[in-house]
Amino acid sequence: MTSTSQADASVAVDSVVTLHDVQVHYPVKEGLLQRVSGHVRAVDGVDLTIPRGQTLGLVGESGCGKTTLGRVVAGLVAPTGGELWFGLTADQHEHVNRIRAIAPGERSAEDQALWRQLEREHRLGSMTKERHREYRRNCQVVFQDSFASLNPRQLVRDIVGRPLRVHREASGSEVDARVVELLERVGLGAQHLLRYPHQFSGGQRQRISIARALALNPEFVILDEPTSALDVSVQAQILNLLVELQQDLGLTYLFITHDLGVVQHMADDIAVMYLGQIAEYGPTDQVFFDPLHPYSRILRDSNPSLEDEEVGERWELSGTVPNPINPPRGCRLHPRCPVATDLCGWSVTDALEHVETAAPAVFEHIDAVNRSTDFLAEVAMSDDASAALMAREINSSPAGVALTQPAISNGKVVSLTLRQVDDAELLPIRELRSSACLRTQQQGVLPSS
Amino acid sequence: MSTIETEATAPESAGSVRWARRREVIAEVLRNPLTVVGFVIIAAFLLMALFAPLLTEPNQPDPYQSPRDWANIDSPPGEAGHVLGTDSQGGDVLYGVIWGSRLSLQLSLTVVLTTVVIGTIVGSIAAMRGGRLDNLLMRIVDVFLAIPELIFALAIAAVLGPSFRNIILALAAVFWVKYARIIRGEIIRIKQSEYVAAARVVGDSTWNIFRKDVFPNSVTPMVVQATLDMGNVVLIGATLSFIGLAQAGLTEWGAMVSAGQSGLLAGEWWVSTFAGLAIVLWALAFNLVGDGLRDVLDPKTEGR
Amino acid sequence: MTEDWLLKVDDLGVQFHSPRGTSQAVDGVSFTMKPHETLALVGETGCGKSVTARSILRLVAQPPGEYSSGSVQLRNDDGSVTDILSAPERVVRNIRGNRVSMIFQDPGKALNPALTVGRQLAEVFGEHRLGMVLEKAGLPTSRPGGTLVKIAQQRAGWLSVRLFQLFRRDAARALKKAMDDEVASALADTGIANPRKIMGSYPHELSGGMKQRVMIAQALACDPDLLVADEPTTALDVTIQARILRLIHDLQQRRGTAILYITHDLSLVKEFADRVAVMYAGRIVEMGPSDQVLKSPQHPYTQGLLAAIPRADTPRGELEAIAGTVPQLVDAPPQCHFASRCAFAAQACHGHIPQPTVVSEGRLVSCFRFSRAEELDVSAEEMPQPAEAIGGGRR
Repeated sequence: MTSTSQADASVAVDSVVTLHDVQVHYPVKEGLLQRVSGHVRAVDGVDLTIPRGQTLGLVGESGCGKTTLGRVVAGLVAPTGGELWFGLTADQHEHVNRIRAIAPGERSAEDQALWRQLEREHRLGSMTKERHREYRRNCQVVFQDSFASLNPRQLVRDIVGRPLRVHREASGSEVDARVVELLERVGLGAQHLLRYPHQFSGGQRQRISIARALALNPEFVILDEPTSALDVSVQAQILNLLVELQQDLGLTYLFITHDLGVVQHMADDIAVMYLGQIAEYGPTDQVFFDPLHPYSRILRDSNPSLEDEEVGERWELSGTVPNPINPPRGCRLHPRCPVATDLCGWSVTDALEHVETAAPAVFEHIDAVNRSTDFLAEVAMSDDASAALMAREINSSPAGVALTQPAISNGKVVSLTLRQVDDAELLPIRELRSSACLRTQQQGVLPSS
Repeated sequence: MSTIETEATAPESAGSVRWARRREVIAEVLRNPLTVVGFVIIAAFLLMALFAPLLTEPNQPDPYQSPRDWANIDSPPGEAGHVLGTDSQGGDVLYGVIWGSRLSLQLSLTVVLTTVVIGTIVGSIAAMRGGRLDNLLMRIVDVFLAIPELIFALAIAAVLGPSFRNIILALAAVFWVKYARIIRGEIIRIKQSEYVAAARVVGDSTWNIFRKDVFPNSVTPMVVQATLDMGNVVLIGATLSFIGLAQAGLTEWGAMVSAGQSGLLAGEWWVSTFAGLAIVLWALAFNLVGDGLRDVLDPKTEGR
Repeated sequence: MTEDWLLKVDDLGVQFHSPRGTSQAVDGVSFTMKPHETLALVGETGCGKSVTARSILRLVAQPPGEYSSGSVQLRNDDGSVTDILSAPERVVRNIRGNRVSMIFQDPGKALNPALTVGRQLAEVFGEHRLGMVLEKAGLPTSRPGGTLVKIAQQRAGWLSVRLFQLFRRDAARALKKAMDDEVASALADTGIANPRKIMGSYPHELSGGMKQRVMIAQALACDPDLLVADEPTTALDVTIQARILRLIHDLQQRRGTAILYITHDLSLVKEFADRVAVMYAGRIVEMGPSDQVLKSPQHPYTQGLLAAIPRADTPRGELEAIAGTVPQLVDAPPQCHFASRCAFAAQACHGHIPQPTVVSEGRLVSCFRFSRAEELDVSAEEMPQPAEAIGGGRR
């Protein structure tokens, strides 16, 4: 699947990392022979530009792929598809976009040479060893669980000093001096040098993690839920520290979290993820006060807040998370969306899933389902009566709105034709804002319920 | 400037901090009285093995053959200068028990050390490389594990012929698979941990990550198993010599139990009993220590 | 008796013994709950809120735990009072489930992985609502017979079930149908769309939110007077959290259950609790109606906790963090445990234990800023700066 989306809207900016159509698909193996029976689409076609010097918030619920995406950016997980560029200037970014749009066979010799050079210097996986080392130095991670991310058998001195040794930044007693400097930077001190991680509180351990991440003077730090294991009073200390460090050192952050209050406080821009894709992207305040994707609004409405102002009607998510092996067609949110219409990509699967839960007795009488496409199918039932019931169930299901004509039973067969909808892509809606909601893309504003 | 500060504010050295940590662990281990009992028994055996030539005059030319007192065969404990009596060949039982501790130590140390090394190498390679190699190695391990230890060792020893060295070989051939399996499982678990991810982000080499992060955090269950096996090896080794797979007349405890067996019906209980007691104590001591270590080092696997 | 209370926790103390010393996890906690009310017990990790919750059902493991002082009194329907901490095990077991139920943070661990959801719920119904189920099935409720009871409670063996089905086919059918209907309607009550399908599933086949709904159905199945909810949504996503909390709230409105709601998240308190008690290091530092406490917190810790939560208008990087960390409670000195982190702390705070003081109608604060020097027998200079009159606090 190649995306033609340019929704990162690549208004050329200097970026630390640029993702283009990045995918991480894990094979699902089954049976004795470990045959691959499908793929879990943990990350499924993400375009994202992380602009230099800012904080980009990546929000979503568990299982949406935000952590996997963070690990891809950190170079810990190799993407199964797509491109990951590191340190592109605005000009280079434009070149990359221009050349990519030309089919490989039709590129001029000049373009080919430029592409190869860009790849060698900036594309993860094709980089020279030296450039990769530079990327490693410049891109660091602070993990969620500070207990799990510090080796329990190493002293703080070895944990924080390790990056310095690995990259031969310092040696001997120099290392200790640098480590003390780093510890003081994050609010600890020389007295903590010779301690084991278990001798610290959660907040202090997270400070050690931050000190380690800063050891190589990186320009980019991925913060993977850095405060979600901490109590609020300690969380406030760590968030303040992160902001202070960013201002002093000119850091770029990718802030991954499920906590909307925190991301609202910390991020300049946010990307909202749902089921492996980015649902909405835009400046944080705008996304909060004027969401352009129903999912962003649901997240906001669900987030408990101490503010007094009334948000008006609260939107809720219905049902449960769909199977990431076979995600919904059209817009991935539509089976759970409060404002879904026929536009949103209802498929045969949606209709049958509804019948399965709402009328299991009817569902049991299905003999065969012949799908021509995801939107066009004939359902063979075991008898005429259940076929009539089936047609009625389908017509009254949420997917019923997308039927081009009501499903009718013809003998034992029910044929259903649903409106064919292309898979949703993240598209620019207005300046700085993009959304993957098909209805928003049509109307320019969030549809009302 | 900050170097001086470091010196000033950190009077302890890294070494002393690490030692303090180890001392804590040791103190924790010794809090369990049963573990202490185990340690005391082991210490007694070790002293016995170490000072065997002082405790009893070594027999010439082979100290691992009991000296024969043909004048006093089958003499009961305490008579004719034989504290624990003699066997049907006039061999001194006390001598056998004392010099047998040397053989047991030799047996268990050789077997456990070699199998730990082999198992660690195989398990580590399988876990770190993964893929087909892992699959192949683990299938081999499965085949080994499918056959009961004793029967497998018995078959190997029988093929190699009766001698003490062959018992060692047979046991080594059997025991390594367990360690390979344990260490592989642990390494795979530790490899998923966030501190390994953190080390990769820093850019450290795979070898360094293995050496500093993965291995030190994976060894604990193997250390516990090795301690338990120090006892088990002697138990199985004794079984093998009991059924005659060691040289005749060897001061090996299993062989002694076997030799004393014929006298049991005639009321000559002492040969088998004292040798058997030595085996039981040895196995028991290492099991006590092993269990104690497991409780302290690896509380979650308790009762596995 | 005109008193109108359901649960009275009085001077509850729980200690934990370890080789390193004794820690006072809960230290003199007192509160009263009225029927039908929701009280939130809020605090950070290790403040003793979960231990307090477990004490109400006498679920703290002994050893290492020990109830060192106080009582947990539950008022019975006839007006008599049972002290849960001193009652015989049989009585406590009867109270658990029948009168007080509990929902835990991790729904996965509290469900039996080997039984279907329907079966587990049927056990609860058979145990606690046997009469009602038998009545619905049209079976005699006065002397139902041993086999019938066993079957209803899902405790009968395979053979006796088969024999019963063979000889009393109608009764077996009626019982099964009544039981299934009850279970399905209990599940449907928690907003599960397809209860019959869920009943046939095993816990591992369900999502976290679904499992928590099953737990709620199970907890409410016996129509308890008090529901203790220990961080019921902490393991869940926000979108599901909102639904689950609203669900508990709605069920409470309908059934009039009292809820003791344990959470670390003050922002959930506003919407879902009538009153809130803030705990710190084993003690309740402030208690009062939730809207008042959230609007004008009086204890320095509550103030700090509220200020630490990021709000839309907080400038970035200027959250008001509480300096320092929670003190170790192992053999802690008798003093205000918050003193080491408190901006107002004075000498008196380090030598005395603050007692709850009524600062206004229904509001208690344990802070020396509300005491006078004479009460402590210290000089005025040793006292912290007195608090302003209520309502003049921050925010």
